[in-house]
Amino acid sequence: MTGERFDGHAIPLEFLKDLAVIEEMVIEVAKWRFLQSNPDRKRTPRGFTSGVSLRLTGVEDGSAIPVIGLVLAGGTLFPPENQTYFVEARDAIVLAIGAAEADQPNSILEHLPERALSYFDRIGRSLRDGEAMELAIRRDATPARLTKETRRRLVLASSRAQALTEETVIRGVIPEADQDALTFQVQLSDGRKVPSPMDEPHVDTILEAFNGFRSGVRVLLEGIGRRTRTGKLERIESIEHMSLLDPLDVAARLDELRSLKNGWLEGVGTAPDAGGLDWLATAFETQYSDVLPLPYLYPTEDGGVRAEWPFDNTEASLDIDLVSKRAIWHDLNLETDAEQTQELDLSDAAGWSWIADRIGALPGGGR
Amino acid sequence: MNDATLLHRQVNPSWIQHGRVTSQAFKPTPKDEFKLSVYDGDLIGPEDAWVHYTQTLSLESAGVLAVTVAECRSHELDARPDPEPFPEHAIVDFSGLGTSQIEKKSKKLKASAVDRGWQFEPEAE
Repeated sequence: MTGERFDGHAIPLEFLKDLAVIEEMVIEVAKWRFLQSNPDRKRTPRGFTSGVSLRLTGVEDGSAIPVIGLVLAGGTLFPPENQTYFVEARDAIVLAIGAAEADQPNSILEHLPERALSYFDRIGRSLRDGEAMELAIRRDATPARLTKETRRRLVLASSRAQALTEETVIRGVIPEADQDALTFQVQLSDGRKVPSPMDEPHVDTILEAFNGFRSGVRVLLEGIGRRTRTGKLERIESIEHMSLLDPLDVAARLDELRSLKNGWLEGVGTAPDAGGLDWLATAFETQYSDVLPLPYLYPTEDGGVRAEWPFDNTEASLDIDLVSKRAIWHDLNLETDAEQTQELDLSDAAGWSWIADRIGALPGGGR
Repeated sequence: MNDATLLHRQVNPSWIQHGRVTSQAFKPTPKDEFKLSVYDGDLIGPEDAWVHYTQTLSLESAGVLAVTVAECRSHELDARPDPEPFPEHAIVDFSGLGTSQIEKKSKKLKASAVDRGWQFEPEAE
């Protein structure tokens, strides 16, 4: 498993669910291989899969490498009469992932039947950008990489798949809640409403946000979302975490700015670049200490973002260029006229550190 | 136009977050060529200015704030009629100032305008 979360030989517990689905899949594909090799048979022999299981036998050094062994009840490893089909099943799964990685959708179906591809809807659902599950036929073979993108290709290679589910994070207000049906809707910054089940552990948070709808109370919802083939979020299937957001939550405000179109300001304002907003949201998340006051955020005419902090008698602002990632800080004491201007490189941690120090030094800066 | 004349400034909806207005509302942008467009309060009231802006000019405004001519002059900014686009049009002139000076004066103007309060806000739909 590769990616930041797997550093230090650690595997997040949520991935154990994925490993359990791999077991189901290997068994089903092994049955399929048996029937392919024995076209005169209508079903697999009695006991073909009984007692068969995959077990996590260790995590190897070097990175987070789960070692999975195929065992029978009683601990007998790989009985010869069945072993072939389970090995073939493993190989077929790895080859299908390899075909998806090579973006060869037709080739995927040469290795796996359509019905088996639906297992990928439950494997790798927690994968994030930059992360991969690497599976190899042999230790010395080049591994096939299951990533967010290859997983999507695998699921959608089946003509039966109308949608796929994946880990989803959304922010929005709750204009509707039905306590009888235990459902509610999250309204996103672009106005779209996404239905969701009202899972019991989160009822209090949901109702608090619902009651605060008119005052703009927003929530952060992390869970499993169902998306159409075109990527549109249809609904939330289950909630994993939910929390009320700070009224000045940076990511939620930047989401609002995504809906701006060119010409938003007297016909000439440039809409902020979506990739630039992603970068800024991540930069605030990772570089801006949560003990500091959150800024107000506004679009600028030239497609940038301006952050403003009102302190005691001092107005501070930061004009951010989303392309160059450079910014100009300015603060002004409205009573004494004392001011400071500073050019900053926000692609560098030093730029953010300077902001934190400056805010801390201002009266009312909160540190 | 005299020292007490109110200069009405339209505020774009995206320049308000949780009721707080950005000082950009009083900072000339590149399209303004360092001249901030306002309505001459001696010739038009804030509500009529808003109607003109949103209906005649078909532009977006969440409401009207105002500064006086005297406040502009106290920050060494010239305010004067500019009736070419339409008769009630006026400008606050930031020409010749550096970036830092523009930033400083716009923050001061915005503080004065916010202290004065909204001159007109349309009713929520």
